[in-house]
Amino acid sequence: MTKTLQHTVRFFTLIALQVLFLNNVQISGYLNPYVYVLFIMLLPPKLSKAGVLVLAFIMGFTIDVFSDSYGIHTAASVLLAYVRPSILSLVSVKGGEDLDAISVKQLKLGRFFTYTGLLCFIHHFTLFFLEAFRLNEFTDTFFRAVVSTIASLLFILILESLRSNSKRR
Amino acid sequence: MRNLIAFFLRHHVLFLFILLETIALGMLLQSHYYQSSRFANSAINWSGQLLDGLNNSKEYFSLKEVNSFLAEENALLKSRELKRDKSEEIRYDNYQYIAAKVIKNSYNKRNNYLTLNKGTLHGIESGMGVCTKEGVVGIVRDVSKHYATVMSVLNKSTVISTRLNKSNHFGELHWDGKSKDYAQLKSIEKYVSISVGDSLVTNSYSSIFPEGISIGTINRFEREPAANFYSIEVDLSVDYTNVDFVYVIKDAQKLERKKLESQKGD
Repeated sequence: MTKTLQHTVRFFTLIALQVLFLNNVQISGYLNPYVYVLFIMLLPPKLSKAGVLVLAFIMGFTIDVFSDSYGIHTAASVLLAYVRPSILSLVSVKGGEDLDAISVKQLKLGRFFTYTGLLCFIHHFTLFFLEAFRLNEFTDTFFRAVVSTIASLLFILILESLRSNSKRR
Repeated sequence: MRNLIAFFLRHHVLFLFILLETIALGMLLQSHYYQSSRFANSAINWSGQLLDGLNNSKEYFSLKEVNSFLAEENALLKSRELKRDKSEEIRYDNYQYIAAKVIKNSYNKRNNYLTLNKGTLHGIESGMGVCTKEGVVGIVRDVSKHYATVMSVLNKSTVISTRLNKSNHFGELHWDGKSKDYAQLKSIEKYVSISVGDSLVTNSYSSIFPEGISIGTINRFEREPAANFYSIEVDLSVDYTNVDFVYVIKDAQKLERKKLESQKGD
């Protein structure tokens, strides 16, 4: 499978998973996993920064259309894409330029976890903050972001382990 | 000039970032203006069709439940009609009820919306009230030809005008985003005597809801020393985890009333 096709397939799979499944799983008011961000996180490190920004915009916009959220997913996703290179240079020596792809195998579990965890939290916090748009609900928003980040990470790790398993076979 | 172009090229990522964020925040801000969200209108058209398709396939699995629900509803309406014959009270006459099906519902976000399978073609307009037989659900927000989105009571922008069934004092219902079962009632003054379990209904001050649709009961209340008002927690009568069929309420005399009320100001 060529790289481009792989990313395209991931784009649509994650949208379907988010819109058809995760948006309908309503466990508690504080727990809202958003797994579609994995698409932006796993874009190839050699892709230009502008390209990542545009793809993140498209991804966020698509999710917005399907979740009555009027731009908050777009804003959070674009921010995620913008900070992605800085977080990437935190976990790899040359800012990811030495990596072929971002995966558990290339980064090792610990660094992969740090990378996805930080980005997830930045995205979720922005998202919930824009959604509430109120400073006096700050602690609530913060708590919501932490809990949802943990849930999203869980899903991301499951998806990643599925991916590496299917490759090995 | 060349320097300027070089400057833009060097920082093109930053500029692109600012541009895209501006578009995103623009959409968000535009959505705060009640009826002007063009983005939202086209968005519900796209997503509505997909959700409708999904819902059609899901529907077969709940036919039994739906049947019993409709039977119950029928019984309720019949009894209401009988009562009305006796008292000859014409209370609901200028209100028209449009039945609709919920094709999407959320209750776990800070701002929750429902999507209905009826739109302008069926007479739905932005700003109409939505209820079930249990009580108030929300207010219609955006409408396209075949679909409508509803701002649920579980939304930070929804305010519902409410009165105490017992004493006729009125207040405003807000939602603080914490639990889907409870909302907050504001501006009931402290001298009013209230007790746990008192029921709350809509009042007819706004022409969104007719008088007397159930909202909930008082679950807990506190007298805060510094404020003039109670802080009241309301147990909502609608179970948002299970909203299937709703009624959109159309006030036939809304225009007439609006016109009369606006004349006062001149």
